[in-house]
Amino acid sequence: MAGSFKRVGNDRVRVRLANDEVAVLRGLPDQLRTVLGEGEDEPVNRRLFPPAYLDVADIEHDAEYHRLMHDDLVSEKLANLDLVTDTLARGTSSVRRWTVELTEEEATAWLGVLNDLRLALGVRLDITEDFDGEVDDTDPRAPAFRLLSYLGWLEEQLLDALQS
Amino acid sequence: MVARCATIARMSTTAPTRERTEQQDDVTEPDVPWVVIVWNDPVNLMSYVVFVLQKLFGYDREKATRLMLDVHHKGKAVVSSGPREKAEFDVYRLHGHGLWATMQKDR
Repeated sequence: MAGSFKRVGNDRVRVRLANDEVAVLRGLPDQLRTVLGEGEDEPVNRRLFPPAYLDVADIEHDAEYHRLMHDDLVSEKLANLDLVTDTLARGTSSVRRWTVELTEEEATAWLGVLNDLRLALGVRLDITEDFDGEVDDTDPRAPAFRLLSYLGWLEEQLLDALQS
Repeated sequence: MVARCATIARMSTTAPTRERTEQQDDVTEPDVPWVVIVWNDPVNLMSYVVFVLQKLFGYDREKATRLMLDVHHKGKAVVSSGPREKAEFDVYRLHGHGLWATMQKDR
């Protein structure tokens, strides 16, 4: 199968996906937007916005970091999500394939969103260092594990395209 | 979890007491360099971590790969250092890219 992402020209990345892949992707940005709005104690948000300072002695610095930076970090993620949503709406479909051309900025947003989605799924699935990627098909979490694996496969391809 | 364990190990060997550490902070803060640490996590792709370290710090592929492998095998790596404001900016950019980064004084 041809790659999902390919650099075309100096500053464009072409995305080519099966129509059913795009259907899956279109449902994801809103889920992440919802999580981002759920407050700082939500486990996914604790992972996406971790403390900056490690030592107990620096707890006041950490509170200040959080106060100054947290909204900007959320805004960046929302801006990435908006770019991805726009491009998912902009692409064109043929009988089986969907295609869109991304600017460098849009491709970078895709990379950020793919990675944020994987981090969020990793928290939801409670993935640890011991996880070997194997999940029984009868496990109720199997679809989410398959999605995590699929998004990782896409992200690897996008990284290759961005660096080619 | 990883970060917490490492803190305990570090404090037992280097930090005398918490009270004393806090007092020292007030006096020595401007002069003490800070280090930015990236911690291992089970989800980020190795290739993604290399990409981000190259992009944010301008490291060549070899250096970024070495740091990523340190993170992967040793659980963490110091990826940058400097005054507190610079370290905080680096942590901010790493957080923006989904890496698990913290900063601390380089004692």
